[in-house]
Amino acid sequence: MSSFYILQTSFPTADKPQLCGLVYQRDFTEGLNKLSVNDYLVLAGTFHGVHAITTRLNPLHPPNEPPSGIEVLETEHFRLQCFQTLTGTKFLLFTEPFQLNTDKIVARIYELYADYVMKNPFYSLEMPIRSEGWERRLVREMRVLNSR
Amino acid sequence: MVVYSFYIFDRHTECVYSKLWARQDRPISGGGTSIRPISDSSATSNGAPPDLGPARARPARLSAQDDAKLIFGTIFSLRNMVRKLGGPDDSFISFRTGQYKLHYFETPTSTKFVMLTDTGTLNMRNVLHQIYVNLWVEYVVKNPICPVEHPGGEGVANEKFEMGLETFVKGFV
Repeated sequence: MSSFYILQTSFPTADKPQLCGLVYQRDFTEGLNKLSVNDYLVLAGTFHGVHAITTRLNPLHPPNEPPSGIEVLETEHFRLQCFQTLTGTKFLLFTEPFQLNTDKIVARIYELYADYVMKNPFYSLEMPIRSEGWERRLVREMRVLNSR
Repeated sequence: MVVYSFYIFDRHTECVYSKLWARQDRPISGGGTSIRPISDSSATSNGAPPDLGPARARPARLSAQDDAKLIFGTIFSLRNMVRKLGGPDDSFISFRTGQYKLHYFETPTSTKFVMLTDTGTLNMRNVLHQIYVNLWVEYVVKNPICPVEHPGGEGVANEKFEMGLETFVKGFV
């Protein structure tokens, strides 16, 4: 099982609070739980909130480094790897519980994202990602992993 | 490995037991390491507005009560999220941040056991299950003078349970 989300965080301004939107979501295998678009948006919002809370639960005092939120979540059926970029964009990768090197996979996707989404002059921030080049390379990357 | 803290939440979302091991500079009255009960809802707000800065900023310290509430909120949201994504019989086991790892175990009666450890710790679900079977059931559930529900943590922190937990955690640390 493997599924992938990108959550983008907008910067808060005077007339607009900080928003967290789901800009991309894709499943790479068959037979996953199908949710409605609305459910995905709700989940994205929930995760954003939980992520912010977990940064504050740090039991170490004083913290040695700026706290980070959830990085890995393990359940009986899947494993979630979360990668947050310096600007607050979150990459969520859902895999099987024993998938190895998920952090490397996400780092590789981040590279693709930087190259094919961020450097795309026609892409505007906080909008859903609809780019054929990005889609094609992401699917190719995942196909290699899933066929191993 | 280091165990930072341990919490039990009952099915009414109330924290009935909490214990902190790591030395923490927190405004806990009495200065002891064990606080109970911590469900005193009227005395919790310390008047300070919540700091809603950017996620990467260094946050202010929270009181132990607020910590317990935040932990409950986190595990509740995550549990619902995991059920939606992984199917109704899925439940999350643990999550890890850069600083700590939270382990979670839920009994069929919705009592929730939560333990915070350092990041290098392996799966602690069986440890939490052991605490449930050997300590909670033996010393709290089977205690005839202990109430069925534990409003305000009543009846949970008896001597046997405290001692058992202390030796158990010391045993595997």
